[in-house]
Formats: sequence, structure tokens, C-alpha cells
Amino acid sequence: MFFKLALKNVRKSFRDYTLYFLTLSFSVCVFYVFNSIEAQKAMMSISSSTADILKTITMIIGYISIFVSFILGFLIVYANNFLIRRRKKEIGIYLTLGMKKGKVARMLVSETFLIGIVSLGAGLLAGIFLSQWLSVITANLFDVDMTGYRFVFSSMAFLKTVIYFGVIFIIVMFLSTVSISKYKLIDLINADKQNERQKLRSPLLTAVLFLLSVTLLGAAYALVLKNGIQQFNTMLRIEMAMGALGTFLFFASLSGFFLRLLQLNGKLYFKGLNMFVLRQINSRINTAHISMTFICLMLFCTIGILSTALGANNALNSGYKFCAPFDASFSSAGKIDIPTEMAKYGFDIGKYTDNAVSYALYRDKSEKLTKEAILGTVTDKIPDNIRLFFIKQPMLLIRLSDYNRLMELQGLEGITLSKGQVAVYSDYAEYTPELMAALKHYLEKESSIDISGTKYDLYGKPLTNGIVTSAASGIVLALVVPDDVIGAGRIEKSYVSFNCKGDRKSMRKQLETELYAMQEKYKDQKDGIKVKAETSDIVKTVAAGSKAIISFVGIYLGIIFLITSAAVLALQQLSEASDNRKRYNILQKIGADNRLINKALMKQIAIYFLLPLALACIHSIVGITVANDVISDVGGIDALGNIIITAVMIAVVYGSYFLATYFSSKQIVLKGKM
Amino acid sequence: MTEILRVQDVEKYYGNKGSLTKAIDHVSFNIEEGEFVGIMGASGSGKTTLLNCISTVDKVTCGHIFIRDSDITEMKSSELASFRRNELGFIFQDFNLLDTLNGFENIVLPLSISGVPHNQAKSRVDEVAKRLDIQDVLAKYPYEMSGGQRQRVAAARAIISKPAMILADEPTGSLDSKSARMLLESLDSLHKNLNATILMVTHDAFTASYCSRILFIKDGRLFNELVRGSNTRKEFFGMIIDVITLLGGDAGNVL
Repeated sequence: MFFKLALKNVRKSFRDYTLYFLTLSFSVCVFYVFNSIEAQKAMMSISSSTADILKTITMIIGYISIFVSFILGFLIVYANNFLIRRRKKEIGIYLTLGMKKGKVARMLVSETFLIGIVSLGAGLLAGIFLSQWLSVITANLFDVDMTGYRFVFSSMAFLKTVIYFGVIFIIVMFLSTVSISKYKLIDLINADKQNERQKLRSPLLTAVLFLLSVTLLGAAYALVLKNGIQQFNTMLRIEMAMGALGTFLFFASLSGFFLRLLQLNGKLYFKGLNMFVLRQINSRINTAHISMTFICLMLFCTIGILSTALGANNALNSGYKFCAPFDASFSSAGKIDIPTEMAKYGFDIGKYTDNAVSYALYRDKSEKLTKEAILGTVTDKIPDNIRLFFIKQPMLLIRLSDYNRLMELQGLEGITLSKGQVAVYSDYAEYTPELMAALKHYLEKESSIDISGTKYDLYGKPLTNGIVTSAASGIVLALVVPDDVIGAGRIEKSYVSFNCKGDRKSMRKQLETELYAMQEKYKDQKDGIKVKAETSDIVKTVAAGSKAIISFVGIYLGIIFLITSAAVLALQQLSEASDNRKRYNILQKIGADNRLINKALMKQIAIYFLLPLALACIHSIVGITVANDVISDVGGIDALGNIIITAVMIAVVYGSYFLATYFSSKQIVLKGKM
Repeated sequence: MTEILRVQDVEKYYGNKGSLTKAIDHVSFNIEEGEFVGIMGASGSGKTTLLNCISTVDKVTCGHIFIRDSDITEMKSSELASFRRNELGFIFQDFNLLDTLNGFENIVLPLSISGVPHNQAKSRVDEVAKRLDIQDVLAKYPYEMSGGQRQRVAAARAIISKPAMILADEPTGSLDSKSARMLLESLDSLHKNLNATILMVTHDAFTASYCSRILFIKDGRLFNELVRGSNTRKEFFGMIIDVITLLGGDAGNVL
């Protein structure tokens, strides 16, 4: 019987539930799509390294999903509470008619169950459909070929979605039962008669609070701009706390402060329905400022995450071409004959190439030369991280003959050094413009350098072409020197680099497979393999992988944050709409026409939606400015483009919630006759 | 005297073919300027429906209603809003004050909507507040006022725009007897001193006794009309009671 009633209730109040239902389905859909990434490989021909990366992505998304499920759980519980509160009177009637609380609770549970089942079904369906497109995006990111269309269905993601959301819904059912048992009948029946008391703070207090909040925010901005965010230290934590507190006080005092301010200007305050709209907002913001604070901070995170995720993507993108000049590079610390070493594991380099170049990085004879010799003269021009991490490291030397052979292997021109001349080498500078500028500046300023007590002239420009294929970032600083300068210098690191013979693409793949198999075979051995082998494919995959991880995680979190904050705002406004309905009806009776009322409603909802967004945007401008400094260490980013993409995404999602809220509120408010 | 309201053969039906309810059935009457007219009848007699039709909140099924010679049954909804604003003042049983606004703001609202300059509006509010003796509650919020004060604030809002007619729907319905008497005294003084035209719906004989003329409605039809003339309020009250007895009479006859 009550199941029927529940079914009817859901159908009847579908319009009220629409937004809730759509939000739920959308969350389910996003959840499924991002958890189904690993299954996408069905459509692609991928190497073992790509498969590895996909596994890592799935694992990371899995952890993020736990966090996401907490956020969504909070959202669903919150939304459900709103819906119950809205139906207090109805519940009151059931109770007066003699229905037991347990039965009412069971009815609400059935309703939640129905909504849960339907939204889970709809969300999964949409998710399965959307995840087909994800394959295309994934293939694109990893630059791999699609093997042709195949229907992708991830049973793991499916199960995970069902379980996670199932648990959330069970919690919601439990909580709604608890909240029903706490209600008193008299409060339920009188639910729509209660006037909210107008808590007004004293004008002086609101003014002080407002000024305090602005000061706090200003100070937090100034500090964060000054100190940057390279290090997560106490200072940064203090800055964050100041920002959060400032935001909270801002919303707590804003409406009261502006109300007072506008009241001073009678003309504006008493124009049309301005007074009504302001009071309307003020009356709610006293209770809503906490959620406004959270929404604002969440939007800030969304903007930050989305724009930096897209930004880091571009930065990494431009980085990897300098890291993979050869099909493969083998490296090992110290002096070691790599082909011999590899032969011990049954690996024959000659199988893949005829033109392997063996070379090394050397210390200078005195072993006293550090990077400070060059960087120390231009400290003010180089990025912080280089100054902090690299300056005390030894400066390594490269033989000129090795360098020229490596250039030849790449099909590039070598260089000639006159006697007693050395060249500055840094492939890292190629994607760190500041370092490049600093080195150029150095070469203009200085004409010689001291190596182990002998002065050498400097070659006119820094050399930046890569000399090793490696996923780790390149060589920050080294010197290319005539062979005789090395003399008895110790070998710091040995290398072999080569391009494959024959059909390079398939050889590379074969090489990768063999390397993986070898690694697998000897991974339990005590010392492991001393030689690190990297192919250009692995380097590209690792680069694409970090790109993909950052993009996927960023977009995933960004979307979830965005819909959560928009949904909370929308639900708040909708649940108020029925209270507002009485007020708007009074306005109609005293002669406000529909145009005026629509305008007032629009203003009211727009202010609610725009306030947190506006403050979040200001936070973000500061945040992104600071974050850019960090990201540009990894490579230049196209900040404007990413911000535009982020803005469009936010405008679409947030805007649709705003419009949906406006139209449903209008319907609720004007539904009453007249 | 000029005619303010002319109700001409108005009918209002609810329901469909199967079950038709004639809430108002061929009702006609006039109200002159400065009259204080009461409409009395039992619950379900159609008196509130009639008031809703006059106040343009509801539409008539057929017939015409003229207020100051404009036919409100022919107006478009956009015209109706400004008409309500300029020509009608409302007092409701449950006050219908906006709980978010204080007394002053509630009273000034109709003027704000009409775009009256704020200085003028403020002096009008002060004047009306003085007349209704509510100056000291202007800064208070509705929840801080007593029922009587709320109703007088509502009355102030109703007359602030100097409407052609004030419509009151059971204005004493949720007041205790002392507050009710105070409100009625205020309405009476508006009527006498400002020559305001008031149309009040009530089922309470005491409230009705403040009127200058009473229309009795039963089952949607005009049943009787009573004019106070030179009678005292007490005598008039007696006459009303007689008619009410008569109204309820036919049920008694059946038994």
C-alpha cells in the first residue's frame, strides 16, 4: 500500500524532484565514465607501457572516487533533507491520519529507493553511452591507433558505481528514518506557518565584520602573491586559513552591510521591488552564509583545478619532444660497459641496431667544479627550483666527439670547438625560458670558465639538442669539452643510445616488449638490472600518461565540485520557493505585475548564484597567477586558453542550474492563482 | 454622490458539466463613494468569491463589474495589476504582511511599486501611521507586533495609495475582541474622516455593525439588504441578528 503511495508521490512531485534526479543521474554518469577508463583499451592497440599507465590512472581515479563518493554522499544527504523538510506538512497529515512514524519512514525510504534505482539506471545508461566517446579521447591523449569500434562496457566500473551509490542511498534512507522519528507532530502541521525570525546584527558589527573580512582576504592575497605556493609550509597554511575565514566573514556580513549601505540611499532602496529583494536575500543569508562559504570555496577549487589541469597538460605536452631524441637510451651510474652488462641478461643490442653510440658524462679532474660556476653568476635570473635543487650539484662534462656523434645520429649538425674552447650544454633550457635567458645572459657577460684550474674560452651559444631519451627531465647544465680536456676524469654516468634498424616502429615495439619481459623476469633478483633502458615510446607514454592523469583527475574533480555546488544552491533556492510563494502572492495582491515579480525573482536567484561565483573568481585570479609561476617551471602554459575553456564549462553547467532554478522557482511561485 | 462600484448581474460557476457549483448567482448591487458596506453570509455562501471577483483576484463567469466606470471584467492581466495597485486597497484575515520587511517598508511597498518618489512616500506613510496610531511599530518586524498592530499596519498599507475602495476580507477574523474593536474603530474613522469607501466581508455580526449598509448573501444570491440609517450601532446590531436568525431560519423550518 505505502509503496503505491510512494510511487504516486514520486510521480506527482516529479517536477520538484527533476533537478535532484538530474543531478543524481549526472553524478552516476560521471562516476561510471571515469572509472571505466581502463576498459577503454579494448578499442586501442597499446603497448605494455601504455597498459601500465592506464592501470595507474585507474588506481588513482579509484582513490579519487572514494573522495568523490564522500562529496556526493554529502550532497545526496543534504538534498534529501531539503526534500523532507519541504514536505513536513504532508508528513504531518499522514501522522494525524494515524499513520505510524515507522510507516511514514518506510514510505520515504521507498521513495528514496525508487529515485535511487531510476537515477542509477539512467545515469549508468548515459555513462555507458558517454564512455564510448572517452575511448576516442584516451586514444588521442596517448597518441595510439584505434583498432576499430568495439562496444566498451566496464563491468568493474558498473559494479563499483552500483555499490558506491547503493551505500550512499542506504545511508540516506537510514538518516531520513532518523530525522522523521525526531519530528514533533505540532511542528509538522504548523510547518508552513512559522515565520522565520529576522535575526539582525547591529549595523556597527556588520560593518566591522565586513571590513575585517575584506582586510583578511586582501592580506591573504598579498601574502600568497608574495610568497608563492612552491612549498606547502606553515605560512601557506596560515594564508589558506585567512582566506577561508575571510570568505566566511564576507558572506556573513555582506548582505547586512549592503542592506545598511543601500538603506542610506532611500531613492535606490525604495525603488520598485529592490527593498523586497534585498530583504529577501538578507533574511536567508543569515542562515545560508555557511553553505555560501562552502560553495564559494568549492567553486574556487573547481576553477583552480580545471584551469591548472588543462594548463599542466599543455606544459607537459611541449616538454617531451626534447626528452626523446633517439629510439632508445640505456643508462647506468658509474663506468660500465652497457652492451656487455645487457648481454648478461641475454639481451643483444645488435639485434635492434647497427649504430649504437656509447658515451658518458664525466667529472672534471679536480672534482670541484659545480653548477654554481655558471649559475652562481646569474642567480637573480634563474627560477627558484633550479637555484634550490641544482646549484650545488657537480657540473658534468661531455666529450665533443660523443656530442657530435649523437648529433649525427639525430641527423643534426655537430659543432667544432677551437682549441681551449668549451660549450655550455642544457637541454632543460629548451623548455624553461628563464634558464635559457639566464644562460644567454651568462655567455654575453663571461668569456671564459675555469675547469680544474685551467681557463677555457666559451662557445658563443648554449647547446640545447637532447642527448638522451629519458622520461626524467633533461640535463640542467653540463659542458661539452674537447676530448683531451677530460683526461683522467672519472665517469659519472654511462650511456648507450641508438635508433632502431629496419622498420623502426615495429622494432621499437618489439624492443619494448623484450625489455618489459626482461624486467619482469629479473625483478626479484637481489640487485636488479643495473642498466636503465628507456625507449622513445615509453618516454612519450609516460609524458602522455602524466598528462592524462592530471587531465582526468582534474576534470573529474572539477565536474563533481561544480555540480555539487550548483546543485546545493539550486536546491536551497527551490526549497525556499514555496516559502517565497506566499510572499510573492502578497506582492501580486498589492499590485505588482508579473513582469516586476519575475524581475525580482530573477534578481534574487541571480544574486544567490553570482555572489559565491564572483568571490571564487577573485580567489582564482590570485590562485592561478601564483600557480602559473609553478607550472611555467615545467613549461610555458597558455593560461588564457585554459581559462576560457574553464569559463565555458562553468558557464554551461552553472548556467544551466541557474536557469533551471529560475524557471522552476517561477513555476512554484506563480503556480498559485493570479 | 458618485458611484464607485457597480456589480451587474454577476455569475461565477465552479466545476464542470457533471457537478456545477454556482458560487455567485445573478448578483447586482452598487456602492456609492464614502459608503462602508458589509457583505454577510455563512461559510460557503459565496461572499469571499464575490470579493475575489471584485478585487480582480478571480474572474467572473459572466456579468460585469465596474469600478469608477472602468469594466474590470474586460481588462488584461497587465492592466489589472496596475489597476489593483492604484484603485484598490486590501486587508486580509491573516494580515498578509511580508515577514521580511519592517512596518514602514510594508506600508511603503505599494508606493515603491508605483514609483512614487521616496520623499513623498515617506511623508504619506508618516501621515497614515499617525492616523492609525502605529508610529511606534514602524521600525518593528511583523513577528514583533501584536495581532492588532499587524492588522493596522495592513490597513495602513491598504490606504497608502489612496485607493478608490478598500476591500477587507474578514479583517477581524484572527484578532481578539479588543484588537478587533480597535481595528474597527480605525476603519470607522477612515470612513468618517477620510470619506473612504470600504467593502468588508464578514460573518460576524459585531464586526458588521460598524457598517453603514449590509448585503446578506445566501447560496450565491443576494438575500437581504440592511441600511443603518440613523440607528445607533447597538440598534443596528439587533437588526443584523434578526436577519441572521431569518437566514438560518429555513433550515429550522424543515426540522
